[in-house]
Amino acid sequence: MSDDGTVDVDEYSDVWVFVESHDGDVMNVSWELLNEASILTEQLGEDLVALVVGEGCDDVAEAAIERGADRALVADDPVFEPYRADPYGEQFRALVEKRKPAIVLIGGTHTGRDFAGRVAVPAHAGLTADCTEIDVDEDGLLQARRPAFGGNVLATILCKDHRPQMATIRPGVFEASDPDPDREGEIERVDVVVDEADTMSAVREREVGDTADITEADRIVAVGGGCDGDLEPARRLADALDADLAASRKAVDEGWIEGARQVGQTGKTVRPDLYVAVGISGAVQHVEGLNDSGVVVAINNDPNAPIFEHADYGIVGDLFEVCPDLAERIDAEGLVEVTND
Amino acid sequence: MTTDPTIVVGVKQVPDDDEVGIDPDTGHLDRASAPAVMNRPDRNALEAALALRDETGGEVLAMTMGPPTATDVLETAVALGCDDAALISDRKFAGSDTWPTSLTLAAAAEALDADVVVCGEETTDSSTGQVPPGIAAHLGWAQLTYVEALEPELEDDTLVAIRDVEGGHEVVAADLPVVVAVAYGENEPRAAGLHRKLYAENEFEPLELSADDLGLDENEVGMDASPTEVGGMETVEPVEREREVADDVDDLLASLRETEVLA
Ligand SMILES: Cc1cc2nc3c(=O)[nH]c(=O)nc-3n(C[C@H](O)[C@H](O)[C@H](O)COP(=O)(O)OP(=O)(O)OC[C@H]3O[C@@H](n4cnc5c(N)ncnc54)[C@H](O)[C@@H]3O)c2cc1C
Ligand SMILES: Nc1ncnc2c1ncn2[C@@H]1O[C@H](COP(=O)(O)O)[C@@H](O)[C@H]1O
Repeated sequence: MSDDGTVDVDEYSDVWVFVESHDGDVMNVSWELLNEASILTEQLGEDLVALVVGEGCDDVAEAAIERGADRALVADDPVFEPYRADPYGEQFRALVEKRKPAIVLIGGTHTGRDFAGRVAVPAHAGLTADCTEIDVDEDGLLQARRPAFGGNVLATILCKDHRPQMATIRPGVFEASDPDPDREGEIERVDVVVDEADTMSAVREREVGDTADITEADRIVAVGGGCDGDLEPARRLADALDADLAASRKAVDEGWIEGARQVGQTGKTVRPDLYVAVGISGAVQHVEGLNDSGVVVAINNDPNAPIFEHADYGIVGDLFEVCPDLAERIDAEGLVEVTND
Repeated sequence: MTTDPTIVVGVKQVPDDDEVGIDPDTGHLDRASAPAVMNRPDRNALEAALALRDETGGEVLAMTMGPPTATDVLETAVALGCDDAALISDRKFAGSDTWPTSLTLAAAAEALDADVVVCGEETTDSSTGQVPPGIAAHLGWAQLTYVEALEPELEDDTLVAIRDVEGGHEVVAADLPVVVAVAYGENEPRAAGLHRKLYAENEFEPLELSADDLGLDENEVGMDASPTEVGGMETVEPVEREREVADDVDDLLASLRETEVLA
């Protein structure tokens, strides 16, 4: 690296995907990334490498091979479980500096966004946040695209003279690949460079409950601030529609529903056939996450709520009346075949 | 053992989201004419910092990196209760991406002798959330992001946080000095007191810090030190929606039947 951090970019090759797992459970976004990154490695004629960090994570490494990785690098040590920014950042940085990947992709989860900077800063790498599209151009340069200005603009971010080209990617924007048990690949255990004695933080308690995946749902009923803590009417409607429950950030922050179900810029991107927004105002940060939905319905008692601008069909009314009413009609007319899953 | 900690809060001036109008000629958002305000999540950062000081003593200093007009957000911060504030401003900082931005803020935090740096979750204009971990990485400090609540244990040089993690929460203890990023909307920001407000508007002058003051070289900051650049901007056409408002539930169901989402 020279004084200004630029490097000989030709020394760098391969695409790395961070496979995020907690206690052996892999975040779906990792599989989404492996699938999308395989398109890049095919174009580049390079290897797709999964980076697995944790304790006792051989199964995760094998799953990564089945999901499309050519190789898996495994950093396995008790220091990595549960997750902490400093050990992850330090281990990841050491690997990047030694092995020189051209592109590094990390899921834009709280974990991914927490430690990505601890790799990019010491490596003086380019780091683009929350991308929704990735491509490589004819010179192999990563084109990392991300929504800007409330989703009205898609900005392409380039990193020409620094390596690696790092990006965090929003969960739910790409499809995950199916595992292929016949795929083969090399699993390599790497040296662990982190010592527990050097860590700067300690996890005292960790409680993880609902990690529902709303990104695959065909129908969604989403609750917002208008529900005022009472999700019953929305639940009733969701049952009638055989839909999954999702939420705005407001509903999550109020503690009415788990964060895993949040839709939007700092939540998930969803693409159901039907999205029903119940008592949601339609802030840009929310709408960004539902734009790929088929039909959007809004239930709101304020005729001027911005959500109506982003909906196909709206109804101005009190959700506490409209939801049960609608649910009853759907049930009575047998409009939805309810499956038990 | 840390006593009377210096708590430095990073605040940024951004275009007001709620006031961004539509350009009648292009039909696109016109951010240039929107008034500049304090980044909303930074209000939660300020509140967390002030609440921490209420508990531990010490002082809260606000810092912003931006043009001289960004002094406005420092005034707001002082009105809300910050003891003092620093404007980090220099032409050399122009064109900074998150790498030099976090280096510059890290240098300022050191210059201000910070024990704790408190930031917002992300900004509404660049929305990367990378600056707080970036500051921590440049300084080699611990970090606590997506923080919902803080609990000081200064006798052990420790700051404990409840963090929001995917699907739940965790309690993490970090060594001081530390960088904190507060989860947006996690606290109720206080209102400014009248006295403080008058002081901020009439008497307050920010401390000013340039690249030289911070000992930063020209090639360490601004565009030259930014690994990323914007390669292009495409306008995204808004998603076409029917925007029909139904008269009643019957009407709504009739429309939904036509879409075939409901058989
Ligand atoms: C950096 C950042 C990131 C963010 N990320 C996200 C994100 O990922 N996802 C997200 O959702 N938000 C996000 N937000 C927050 C976003 O800006 C809004 O504050 C949030 O979406 C508001 O949620 P809401 O519309 O449910 O609640 P409110 O704003 O409280 O709106 C409630 C709505 O319900 C209606 N209502 C009230 N009572 C009734 C009733 N009885 N019947 C029918 N309607 C009723 C009201 O008219 C109103 O329109 C983010 C904000 C920031 C700053
Ligand atoms: N120019 C700046 N001046 C002061 N603080 C900043 C600046 N940019 C970012 N921050 C802080 O870092 C947080 C995250 O910003 P960002 O990484 O840009 O999304 C903000 O909420 C602020 O607390």
